[in-house]
Amino acid sequence: MKKRLLLLSFAALSVFAAKAQDTTKTDPPLVISGSVDTYYKYDFSKHSNIPTSFASDQNSISIGMIDLALKKKVGKASFVGELSFGPRGQVQSLPNAAGAYDESANSFHIQNLYVSYDVTDKFNLTGGYMATFMGYEVISPAGNFNYSTSYLFTNGPFQNPGFKATYAFSSKVSLMAGIFNDSWNLYTSVNKVNTFGAQLMVSPVAGWTAYLNVLSGKLSGTEFDLTTSYQITDMFKLGLNAADFKPAAVVGTGGFTGVALYPQVAVAKDVTLGLRGEYFKTKSGSYATVGPPPGSSVFATTFTANIKAGPLTLMPEFRLDSNKNDTDGFSTSSGNATKTASQFVLAAVYAF
Amino acid sequence: MKKVFGLLVLIMTVQHAFAQKDSLQVDENNNYVYYKVVEKANLPADTVYERAFNFAKTLSKENKPAKGQADKAFNISSKFITYGGMSLVRKESGEVKYTLNFQAADGKYRYNLSNFVFIPYKRDRYGNMTAVPGVEVAVEKFAAKYSQKEKDAVLDQIAAQSLAIEARLKQAIDRTKVPVKQIEVKKVNTGNW
Repeated sequence: MKKRLLLLSFAALSVFAAKAQDTTKTDPPLVISGSVDTYYKYDFSKHSNIPTSFASDQNSISIGMIDLALKKKVGKASFVGELSFGPRGQVQSLPNAAGAYDESANSFHIQNLYVSYDVTDKFNLTGGYMATFMGYEVISPAGNFNYSTSYLFTNGPFQNPGFKATYAFSSKVSLMAGIFNDSWNLYTSVNKVNTFGAQLMVSPVAGWTAYLNVLSGKLSGTEFDLTTSYQITDMFKLGLNAADFKPAAVVGTGGFTGVALYPQVAVAKDVTLGLRGEYFKTKSGSYATVGPPPGSSVFATTFTANIKAGPLTLMPEFRLDSNKNDTDGFSTSSGNATKTASQFVLAAVYAF
Repeated sequence: MKKVFGLLVLIMTVQHAFAQKDSLQVDENNNYVYYKVVEKANLPADTVYERAFNFAKTLSKENKPAKGQADKAFNISSKFITYGGMSLVRKESGEVKYTLNFQAADGKYRYNLSNFVFIPYKRDRYGNMTAVPGVEVAVEKFAAKYSQKEKDAVLDQIAAQSLAIEARLKQAIDRTKVPVKQIEVKKVNTGNW
C-alpha cells in the first residue's frame, strides 16, 4: 500500500513538475539539441562515383553521426559547445588534433565551441571555433533539405575559428565582420589570424532573407558567396546559392564558381518535395577541387522528399550528376570512363 | 484504498489546473481570444487608460502602443517565446506574436489578446534556436501544419502568457506593489560550542 501511495505521489509530482516547465517565465537552464542520422546508398555503377561530402558508402546501411549541442545563456553571456561522433561528425567534416582528415588519429569532435556576449540588444561579440557563415548547406543533416551535399558546400569552408562582431540595424538588416584564422577548418591557425570575413544580411520582404558573404585571406584565398531563400507561399520555398572562389597565390591558381537552385513544395502536412539543380565550374589552373578537374564542369540534379513523423524525417533521394567530359572522374560498373553518375539514397534523420 | 482514490483525483485535478488553454475563448469569427471586462468603479477612466497605456509600453521593445479609433482605447503588438520538449531537451520551439487591445470607460475597462500567430524555431548552424524565415501560422490554422499535441502545447503557453499579462495589467492599474518576502537571517552565537 505504501509503495502504491509513494508511486502515485511521485506520479502526481512528476505531472506537476513537467507542467511547471511549460511556463514562459525563465530561460531553460541548459539547452541540449542535436540529431542522429543513418542512411543507405546505392550508386547505379555499383561503386561510389559522386563526390558528395556525406553518404559516401556504397550499398551499405551506414551511420552519419550523433550530434550533440549544448547551449547556456546567463544574462548577456552565452556559450555553445557542439560535439559530433561518427564518420559525418569526424573525418568527413572535422580535422583530427593534428589538423588532418585522418580517422586513425585522435579527434577533438568539436563542430562549434564559442562564447558570445550581447553588448546591447543589437550588438553581439562572438569568439571561438564556429561553423562557417558561408554557404546554403550545413554539416548537420537536420539543417539541410537534401541528404547528399552540393559541390559548393563540399568545396567551401566548414568551420572558421575567429572573432566576430555583429550589429543588427533592424530585424531586416544586420552586418557581421570578423577576423579569422589564416586557414579554414583547422582548430589552430597555420601561422596567423589574418582572414577577413563579413556578412551582410538583408530581409527585403517577410519570408525573404539574403546573405552576402565574403571571406578573404592570404592563405585561405577569397570566396564571395550569396545565400538566399524566399518562402513565397505557405507551400512553396525557393533557395539559391552562388559562389566564386579564388585560391591564394601560395596555394595555386584557378578555383571554382557555381550556382545552385533549391525549389521546394509542401504537398502535404508532413511531406515536402524538393529539387536541387547545381552548376559547378572549375577554373583552369592548378587548384584541385572535390569534383571535376580544373577547366571542366558538372551539372547535378538531386530530387529529395522529406517525410516527417514528429522529430523523425525520412529522406528518399535520387541524384544524377553529369560531367562535361568523359574523363572528369565518373566510371561505369565495368570501369569505363563516363560522363554521368546516378545514385539513390534513403536516409533517416532524428532531430532533438 | 480511499487514499489511492484521493491521490488519483488529486493528479487529475493538477492536470486539469494546468490545462491553461481552457482560459482561451473563440470570438464571433472563430478566432482565439483572451477577453476580459473588469469593473473599476473607484478610478476615473482617464487614469485607468493612462496607467494601462504606460504598462503597454513595457510589453515590446520594437513597438509602441497606438491609440485606437474609439475613445480611451489603444492597441499594441508584441511577442513571446514558446518552449517545447521535456526535461533535458526542453528549448525554444518558436515565438507567438499577438495584439493587445484595451479600452477604458466609466467604471470599467476591457481588453483582449488576439491575432495569435506562431513562428516556429529551428536550430541554426551555430547551435542557436532561431525563427524559420517566412513561416507564420495563425493558431486557428494550426491543425493544417501541426499535431494536436503541438497545438495544445502552444495554446497552453498562449493562455499562460495571457494570464501573466492580465496579472501585470491589473497590478499596473491598481498600483499594487508586489509583496517582497523578507527572509530572516538566523543569528547564531559562534562563541558557544
